[in-house]
Amino acid sequence: MPGGRRPRTRHGALTGRSLRPRRESRLVVRASVVAFSLAALALAAPAGATTTLRHGQIWLIRAGEPVAVPRTAPGIPGLVRSLLAGPTMRERRSGLTSAIPAGTPVNDLSIARRVVTVDLGARFATGRNERSLRARVGQLVRTLRAVPGVLGVRVRIEGGVPVGLFPGYDLRRTVHEPLPEPTVPGPRELEQLLADLGFMAPGGVDGRLDDETSIAVLAFEKWSGLPRDGILDDDVTSALLRATRPQPFLRRPGKRVELLLRRQVALQIVDNRVERVFHISSGSGGRTPTGSFHVYRKERLSWSVPFSTWMPWASYFVGGIAFHEYSPVPAYPASHGCVRMMARDAPLMYAFATYGTPVDVLWEHV
Amino acid sequence: MKRGALALLFTVAVVGCPTAAATRTVAAPPPTAESPASLVVALALGDPGLQAGVVRGGDVILARGFEVELARLLARRLGARVDRFVYVPSTTRLLAATATGWQLGLAGIDPSRGGAAGAAFSAPYLTTDVAVVTRRGLDAPRRLADLRPLALCALRGGDAARTAAAVVRPKRPTTLAAGDVRLLAMVQTGSCDAALVPAVQVGRFVEGHRRVLGSVAVRIRRGDGLVAVVPSSGGLDVQAVNRELGRLRRDGTLSRLARTWLRLDPAGLRVLR
Repeated sequence: MPGGRRPRTRHGALTGRSLRPRRESRLVVRASVVAFSLAALALAAPAGATTTLRHGQIWLIRAGEPVAVPRTAPGIPGLVRSLLAGPTMRERRSGLTSAIPAGTPVNDLSIARRVVTVDLGARFATGRNERSLRARVGQLVRTLRAVPGVLGVRVRIEGGVPVGLFPGYDLRRTVHEPLPEPTVPGPRELEQLLADLGFMAPGGVDGRLDDETSIAVLAFEKWSGLPRDGILDDDVTSALLRATRPQPFLRRPGKRVELLLRRQVALQIVDNRVERVFHISSGSGGRTPTGSFHVYRKERLSWSVPFSTWMPWASYFVGGIAFHEYSPVPAYPASHGCVRMMARDAPLMYAFATYGTPVDVLWEHV
Repeated sequence: MKRGALALLFTVAVVGCPTAAATRTVAAPPPTAESPASLVVALALGDPGLQAGVVRGGDVILARGFEVELARLLARRLGARVDRFVYVPSTTRLLAATATGWQLGLAGIDPSRGGAAGAAFSAPYLTTDVAVVTRRGLDAPRRLADLRPLALCALRGGDAARTAAAVVRPKRPTTLAAGDVRLLAMVQTGSCDAALVPAVQVGRFVEGHRRVLGSVAVRIRRGDGLVAVVPSSGGLDVQAVNRELGRLRRDGTLSRLARTWLRLDPAGLRVLR
């Protein structure tokens, strides 16, 4: 045993004193078997026989999320009774609730093969709110599965098997895990949402809140009228969860680009469906003219004579004004008239905006 | 004088009460030779909106849902009452309808999938059509042809995609989603232009998400509708059942039931042609 630490079972129970390294493995196996047998016997014992106080936890709900709350109760039946009793007054004041209807009785509780079967009164199934019905089974399953050694839960109502009463759960079978609650999505889910909405390339969905995510967030903030900081905070997350795909301002068939000067974004549109939304920076002081134009000149690497600078991936659509790669691309109009794009986005726009592609430059109403 | 007036009032009340009671009971006609006084109704407990309950010893207790309420209403209109609900988990067994012990079977049965031996089907009481939920920003389709160029999506394993292929014949293959949540996200984000959802489930599908979705205004015809099974040996007259179903439809009861249990009456959606 490295460091001479006392061995622990999977559930953390101590199995005995320190052992010498030579006979360690055999003794550990024996001790584990004994400990496991004792645990199994304890679980297999009739419910009423379990009288010792157990420090466990029940699962309640706060703001729609399951929350574990510590409880001390005499065995598993006591824990279930405590769950059905719901939050205390103090817990209620702190925002904890329960989806289980008050006054739900336990008709029977038995344990066999480390599966707890709970027979509840008809009150448990009252109501038609699917979310509440799902949540109450989740509370029961979470509470019982948190007890060391319990592998599954069977829910019975008035001695019968509920079928279809609790959407999402098949209670004809033993429930091993609760259904995942709709929680705040993680970085990957939010990136997927940004990609699905057209603010990010699908290849950028990697679960890391990196530069690419920040630019996509900035484009989304610009589109949605949120403060332009590129940070995926709670306000942006909340807006993202309610967001729908951006709509073009004009209705025209075919492939085209809309450049929205007020929002500072460029929309790639195919048959009135916005395929991508790009973060751009146009001409400051109204130097990018509004109107309907066409891409008339394209240069993979264009040299700007008046400003003596290279402009990669340039697609000219009016006079000397083009979409092109440039750094930096601030969140406000900053150029001399051209449309600055990020290094990642400029080649995509170059490929999309072929010769003759219509470009509508709008000072749109927000 | 006062005592006399009170006596008169009492007399009127005593004489008037049975009359009022009789008026109230007129709605439920007495049992006829065709309709038994009590019914045993078979359920399969499939869709939570249509029927759900607790199975105990072959019976269904705490039964609820559209079809459960429909069975109770039908029984009342036929001058009977539902004695109990029994659980027949297999639709095949329900359709075989031999040695049943029940007089009415309600289990979301679509007659287009096969006939029943030894039993008759009632008239349809609920549509089996497919509803179209469009993304926001897209005009509600007016004709089937409007759906053809759209990117359609549907639940994997359901009938909606097959219906789309057969009836709509979309230009692009229908994208299949693994579950309701993904299907909803696809329409919300515009990954697909329109989701095809069984009309009986569309109310629950869009509930709480109307703001992020477009219209739910149309449906695509698919079969005649869900029907009840009436075993020939059960003593229940299928004509009487159809008559009462017609009345329930005409007086708006079916529509009210649908709004209660399915969150939306699919019959109210316009049919695309």
